[in-house]
Amino acid sequence: MTSFWPIFKRELFAFFVTPLAWVLITVFLLVQGMHFFLLVDHFASAGQAASDQTPLQAFFGNTVLLYVVLFLLVPPMTMRLFAEERRSGTIEALMTAPVSSVSVVLAKYAAVLVTYLAMWAPTTLYVVILRQTGEVDLKVAAAAYLGVVLVGAMYLAIGLLMSAITKSQFLALVLTALLVLALFILGVGEFVAREGTVMHDVCAHVSVWAHMNDFASGIVDTRRLVFYSSVTGLCLFTTVRAVDAWRWT
Amino acid sequence: MISVQKLVKRYGKKTAVDGVSFEVDRGEVVGFLGPNGAGKSTTLRILAGFLGLTSGKVVVSGHDIQTESFEARQKIGYMPEAVPIYPEMRVAEYLAFRAELKRVPRKDRASFVDDAMVKAHVDDVANVLVGHLSKGYRQRVGLADALVARPSLLVLDEPTAGLDPNQIREVREVIKGLGKEHTVLLSTHILSEVEASCSRVVVIAKGRLVAEGTMEELEKKRRPSGLGLVVRGQLDQALAALRGVPGIAKAEPEERAFLPKEPGVHALRCSWAKKLDDAGVTQAAEEAVAALVKAGLAVREVNPTRSSLEEVFAELTAGESAARETSATEEPAS
Repeated sequence: MTSFWPIFKRELFAFFVTPLAWVLITVFLLVQGMHFFLLVDHFASAGQAASDQTPLQAFFGNTVLLYVVLFLLVPPMTMRLFAEERRSGTIEALMTAPVSSVSVVLAKYAAVLVTYLAMWAPTTLYVVILRQTGEVDLKVAAAAYLGVVLVGAMYLAIGLLMSAITKSQFLALVLTALLVLALFILGVGEFVAREGTVMHDVCAHVSVWAHMNDFASGIVDTRRLVFYSSVTGLCLFTTVRAVDAWRWT
Repeated sequence: MISVQKLVKRYGKKTAVDGVSFEVDRGEVVGFLGPNGAGKSTTLRILAGFLGLTSGKVVVSGHDIQTESFEARQKIGYMPEAVPIYPEMRVAEYLAFRAELKRVPRKDRASFVDDAMVKAHVDDVANVLVGHLSKGYRQRVGLADALVARPSLLVLDEPTAGLDPNQIREVREVIKGLGKEHTVLLSTHILSEVEASCSRVVVIAKGRLVAEGTMEELEKKRRPSGLGLVVRGQLDQALAALRGVPGIAKAEPEERAFLPKEPGVHALRCSWAKKLDDAGVTQAAEEAVAALVKAGLAVREVNPTRSSLEEVFAELTAGESAARETSATEEPAS
């Protein structure tokens, strides 16, 4: 694992030295800022009685905006991780150094996860702003952020895997977007399938939408924790196997 | 330092490397020679631990690359063929990253990086983005990368590919210097490269080993090919006289750029019959001169010629069939 640090540092460097990360963060913060402004404006004019939700709940749950942002952000963040190195050939220099596949995969994943967290970090200011004018349950806010981190971690792991199985960044981007979207739509099936059927149970179990609503209301369900960490773990494990498999192609 | 035994690499049904065995000893500079597509890069990639092998055994500095890949990779400084380097990094930054990746202790890192830059002559571009460098510089940054952890063994895949003649000379100088401290295995398809920098050569073609030996041994494969002559007199008489000498397969006038503009001065070339041995060649040369003089011609120049290394190389890599073809075309002339 000694090789984790240099690769992790280089990945972060590569992210922030190219315009990509800055463009993504700027777009992300603009959209989230608009979102937050509209919500606050709505709650201010409608008054407390008009809704049984808190602004934070509305920010993280029961909104499509959160996912639109995630769908647009995650694929371009992860597409280059392996695909670019394989296309340009730098992977040969990387893998012939004394490094293990596990540390390469984990370092790249950690770098993109940290970038993702850095993207969300400024939004914690919203909590501070809300506290100026009213009560904010910090535990609920923490649960909401936990949800954001878990969903993001899973999406990023899917993106990492897609980047490892193709040499084309564009293909990695499309595949990641498709998978993430497919997972989301499968989850929405919860509201389509009849209650009591297997389909309904499966959909409910993978429903990112419903999970986020729970997290936004401050409910931390261990089933969700297990779901997100196992999908993330599975993707990372498969990525390590994919990296090992390159030697045989 | 390197021991390759019966190495086989297949991509699906295609066999890229087919039972190649060779050794590289400590302190040698070995040229790995072969035409494009012979399996050179595949072999070196297997050595460097980038590709898996189908069968056979490769041992690097006492470590089997299959069971102790990690230790083996630590002993090798490998320079890939295309010299892939992250374009967004500066040269010194990149080398520091590579040094850390190759586990150079923190306190030594700066001095190792400086050292490698000086050795590879890239110290003047230390703060330039790799993406902005010319091909020649990038190639040398790749070399510095191979050197940075001070490995005892260097594996360089076509270190001079795509360079202009001046840059090739520079890189060769660098490699020659490296040969004093490191064991070097370098691949190339250019013969003069091997002549310039290697003490021993391994030749492969179509995935098979076709020759192995020191430069002197390769030199011995250069056979006497014929005589170059300059004579004054009748051209027809000269050719007739030469064709009468046993052992001469072919005699013909030769175009030469720098022939004196005197009337009756001709350049001739004759080639020996294939079956002639060294003693026969000496005798035939003497007889050829005697025959010319007897026919009343003045002999001005006699140059015994040998087949060039290029021809030896072509013969080795094209295999038996090509050798037979050349002799077949020469036969009717006798």
